[in-house]
Amino acid sequence: MRYTNPELLEHLASAYVLGTLAGGARRRFERLQRDRVDVRVRVAQWEARLGQLALSVPAHKPSPRVWAAIAARTQPAGTRQAAQGKASWLGWLRPAGFGVGGVAAGVIAASALFLAMPTLFMSSDQLAMRSGEKLPQSYVGLLTDAQGNGKLLVSSLRHGKTMTVKVIGPITPPAAGKLVLWAVPANGPAFSLGAVPTSGSAVSMLPDTSEKLLSKVGKLMVTLEADANAAKPGETVVFSGNCAKLW
Amino acid sequence: MKLAPDPDTRSLQALIAGAAQGDHACFADIYERTHAHLFGVAVRILGQGQAAEDVLQEAYVSIWKNAAGYRSEVDGQPIQPMTWLIAIVRNKALDAFRARARRKESGLPSSGEAGELDEEDIESSAAPAPSAMQLLEQATEALHIEGCMNALEGSHRQSLALAYYQGLSHTEVAAQMGAPLGSVKAWIRRGLEKLKACLAAQGVVAS
Repeated sequence: MRYTNPELLEHLASAYVLGTLAGGARRRFERLQRDRVDVRVRVAQWEARLGQLALSVPAHKPSPRVWAAIAARTQPAGTRQAAQGKASWLGWLRPAGFGVGGVAAGVIAASALFLAMPTLFMSSDQLAMRSGEKLPQSYVGLLTDAQGNGKLLVSSLRHGKTMTVKVIGPITPPAAGKLVLWAVPANGPAFSLGAVPTSGSAVSMLPDTSEKLLSKVGKLMVTLEADANAAKPGETVVFSGNCAKLW
Repeated sequence: MKLAPDPDTRSLQALIAGAAQGDHACFADIYERTHAHLFGVAVRILGQGQAAEDVLQEAYVSIWKNAAGYRSEVDGQPIQPMTWLIAIVRNKALDAFRARARRKESGLPSSGEAGELDEEDIESSAAPAPSAMQLLEQATEALHIEGCMNALEGSHRQSLALAYYQGLSHTEVAAQMGAPLGSVKAWIRRGLEKLKACLAAQGVVAS
């Protein structure tokens, strides 16, 4: 089957989310999703559409046994002190199994966590990632505010065309305008990588592979822009950091 | 730790972020806020009973394990936390529903205890639930797209409603409606396309 036809992909994504895509076709489509971000995007859009229909479904109370069983399977073993400390990103490093460290350790641990996520958005290096022996070749950036507080983690597989931006420290949304991420090459004008979220994490498609876009980029910065599609970065630099090659 | 606001006032998105960092209290709060609705989604497909509770359990364990995989935005499209949670539960409920259908087809007993076999009975003896069509009408009204969706023929809406709210396959929808399989496939496809257009026109989800 050809998976390049956008109409076909759209139809498959809608049928997959609805549940009418069944059997072998469903399994093939699930594999396709794992390898193709554009397919994931379509599925996410259909989940958003059809999820709206679920709002009219009447609520039901399950037996209290259900939560007891869930809690028994999810309670962290031992005495992990997730609630202790300064909540933000230092605590967030711990699950990756690294000692608390500086920015370098942060970048590596964050990447490990990013890679350890079971979901999608990556393909070629999955095996290496799963075995835990090697981190896939990626571009990674950690942006901080002027005081050095970690704010954003930017990552993209070297040969991938998606970028994930994760908020790792509290960001006050600007009263007006957008926060825009810029790549700053050593020799050449800065170019925009799009708007960044102020909470949670966001994944977006890049116009080309990160290798093509970022191989000469040493710095990243976030500026406050009136226009999210500004051609050049403005004066107000909010966060900045290095862009590192993870290989 | 009082950097974070009180759990009660934290958004579902913030709670998922907390769960992704291993904060089990955040996870418990997610369950508290969402389980009745998510259980409703599972019950709708599987009927009230052990099967729906098993699905709910599996779904929340998966939510706990995959909390870090939640994306609040995909390619510029905001993804509501509830959308993400509903998709997880619905997928698991559909898997269970199909597995049950396969067991029925092959005449194999349920893999669980003998007592679990009565789950379908519970479904049929439960208090009358709103029909799939009623649920679709309520949802489209709440979304202010009922006018747009009503431009579709009733059979198109009915087949979409049965597939979505009951988790029925094309063949099952065709059997229930007494309509040819080919027609049902086309109706559902047109129903989905219409839904997409209506939601986009209403600005709910971009096309």
